Amino acid sequence: MRQDDIIEAVLGFIDGRDESDEAFGQLALTIFAYQFANNLPYRRFCSARGRTPLTVRAWRDIPAVPISAFKDATLSCCPPEQASHVFMTSGTTRGVRGRSYHPNLRVWERSMLGHFRPRFMRGLERIRIGVLFPDEAALPNSSLAHYLALAKRECGTPDSRGFIGETGLDLEALIETLTEAEAGSEPYALLGASYSFVPVLDALEAGGRRFRLPDGSRILDTGGFKGQSRELQADEFYDALSRAFGVPRSACINMYGMTELSSQLYDDGNAVSPAVKSGPHWVRSRVVDPLTGQDLPPGETGVILHHDLAHFNCAAAILTEDAGVIVPGGFLLLGRADGADSRGCSVAVEEFLKAAQG
Amino acid sequence: MERAGHLPGLDPAAIAWRETRFSAWGQSVDVALPVLSSAQAQALGNHVRSHAESHLRQLPVMQIVETIDRAIARLLDRDDPYRKRAEAILPILTGYDAQMVRLALTGYLKSFRKPQLLRFLTEDFGNPLLLDGFQPRPKGGLARAVPPGLLLHVWAGNVPGLPLWSLISGLLVKAGNIGKVASAEPLMAGWFAQLLAEIDPQLGECLAVTWWKGGEEAGEKPFLDQADTVIAYGGNASLEALRARLPVTTRFLPHGHKLAFGAVAASALDRRRAPVLARLAAQDVVRYEQQGCYSPQVIYVARGGRVAPRDFAGMIGQELAGLGRSYGRRALSLTERGALANWRHAAEMQGGEVIAGEDWAILYRDTPEPLWPSALNRTLRVVAVEGLDAVAALVAPSRAFLQTATVAADPEELLAIADNLAGAGVTRIAGFGQAGLPEAGWHHDGRFSLLDLVGFAEVDAAAEQAAETFARYVD
Repeated sequence: MRQDDIIEAVLGFIDGRDESDEAFGQLALTIFAYQFANNLPYRRFCSARGRTPLTVRAWRDIPAVPISAFKDATLSCCPPEQASHVFMTSGTTRGVRGRSYHPNLRVWERSMLGHFRPRFMRGLERIRIGVLFPDEAALPNSSLAHYLALAKRECGTPDSRGFIGETGLDLEALIETLTEAEAGSEPYALLGASYSFVPVLDALEAGGRRFRLPDGSRILDTGGFKGQSRELQADEFYDALSRAFGVPRSACINMYGMTELSSQLYDDGNAVSPAVKSGPHWVRSRVVDPLTGQDLPPGETGVILHHDLAHFNCAAAILTEDAGVIVPGGFLLLGRADGADSRGCSVAVEEFLKAAQG
Repeated sequence: MERAGHLPGLDPAAIAWRETRFSAWGQSVDVALPVLSSAQAQALGNHVRSHAESHLRQLPVMQIVETIDRAIARLLDRDDPYRKRAEAILPILTGYDAQMVRLALTGYLKSFRKPQLLRFLTEDFGNPLLLDGFQPRPKGGLARAVPPGLLLHVWAGNVPGLPLWSLISGLLVKAGNIGKVASAEPLMAGWFAQLLAEIDPQLGECLAVTWWKGGEEAGEKPFLDQADTVIAYGGNASLEALRARLPVTTRFLPHGHKLAFGAVAASALDRRRAPVLARLAAQDVVRYEQQGCYSPQVIYVARGGRVAPRDFAGMIGQELAGLGRSYGRRALSLTERGALANWRHAAEMQGGEVIAGEDWAILYRDTPEPLWPSALNRTLRVVAVEGLDAVAALVAPSRAFLQTATVAADPEELLAIADNLAGAGVTRIAGFGQAGLPEAGWHHDGRFSLLDLVGFAEVDAAAEQAAETFARYVD
């Protein structure tokens, strides 16, 4: 298949209503054949484990690429220089950032909006949006910056805006906007990186300022704290958000996304944390034993694997470093599973890398 | 319920305990870790310091050697209750195969018998009587070793018995000793202390074994403030944090994590000897699942022997498979399994060949590459090189992490590569199969196990001569 055919097939699947395992599997195998043919490092990876389009019959047998591989290899079916967009991870290991290449963003954007609308907009056509994250001009390779820009453009009212500019957080403008929103009756939406909310919460707390945003207002946070702000426990964080903005925890939605995917996953609010997360019908999330790659039964903790059909240009099956467990309706995230807990006196990779970076 | 530690002078009823459960091989054991108040920590320090001063400092070093020898003899005796406890419980604490623990424990404890302890002493002091009083020095004058009044050990890792190295060293130089056990293996050091106390109750008052949660300031501050010298094992981050909390006048002896490797010369690779060598290499890898600082993670193999490097990698794999049948790999945590999978995936991504069995994996690389950590737990990288003289340059960038290199080569090559590797930062060359069994008196991380612990007090030759002028018998 050619690139255009794959794109059309994925777009059709996203728009379609067929959520059966069979339909998913069929397209997954088609995409696997495409990626095997066009993505050389991935082909090598699959061949090394004896998995080729000839031997793989079920989509669950398609080899999943660990996200660490994005730092070691260029995983792209199109020549990298022909990619219109390259999204890069924010964290660097060995001074290398993981990259995702996109020949164009048609699928990425359809996937984003196709899932954002039901999970966050919840029936609203548009909502006034405030963004707590730098814009695309400041971070041209950030998938989150593009995500938020797209949300603002396609789902925001004209008076939507961002509050983090060249000089950092514009707290004054944010407070002004929130005051205005509070006085009105239209719901308001605040979206941003989890760590961007922390200085806002601190400032409001210090100033003794609380808001009671109109009914239907909502909050979206993503990505955790990543050492960019102090670390808060989930309950602490959502209690604080709820208190500061007058938005119930059930309307505080956490988006789980990664540069190494082309789709996002959400929970349905954080009335209880950790909240159950799930993806759209073009993403299947599994919990596997990282060593064998085999699915673990529901309730058993393993590593989360996402099979994202929208990620057609790279590798659709991605093995994360997140620990999780399958529960009814989706999965729970249980923190990291990256092997940083070595207990012996032998140096482990983490420490070695840190030293190598100086 | 096993109670960790040895806390002389404290009222047992007043000590708070924190319970934790260890499970492995279908068995569980509950361990209570002591949690001392600041006042108790202070009292413990005072107790150990004053008893070391009044008792240990007065003992001839040879008597301390005798006592340790008796304690070690009991730990080597498979019918001794302490030994039985160690054999039964350590596999549950650490998850290591019981048979492996038994064999490794014996191999390790053997290096603390009397002849070996004497070797330790002479290796560092030449004349061990320096520990008992002033001795004449070659330069003239007199000198004696002065131990720290209170030596604090901060142990890490879960290689059973590791704390014995520094604890025995501290006793030999007559320091008051307080050791902090790691949560991963909190019992062995306490058993040893209790055993010593049984043999010599007075000596038992001169050492303590306790626990606090690593990095928790309230628990550790009273100990850090009291210690004259601190010897600590761990990762660079925790060592750095520890150093930052120590008074500047406190001597700090850090032992960071290490990355060991092996090197095989073409001369060692004939059809008869290569399989034997592969078996020894596999033993080094299997012993304590590569958690020890001396466990090889990479083996450089020279081309040009009868057995090609790739074939040698295959032989090690066969041996790992064989050893796996006798000594099962411990159950890995999810994060360890994740790390192992990542290591393997990264290797495959980079185009290396992975030779793997159910509980081991070897990554074979046909072109030279620098030292790089494996995922431990029976994972190894085998790297082909043109000759052994290429190895030093490959490992030199990791100088801070170098310690043990296992080498198989003919005598001339051995000395040549030893020179190169020493220049690169390697401090110990071991034979294959011996990586985890450093010999008595070795210099851990190139330092002096005993000498580094003490200071010297000297009497100038001139003072000695001047004293003569005041002698009663002077003419």
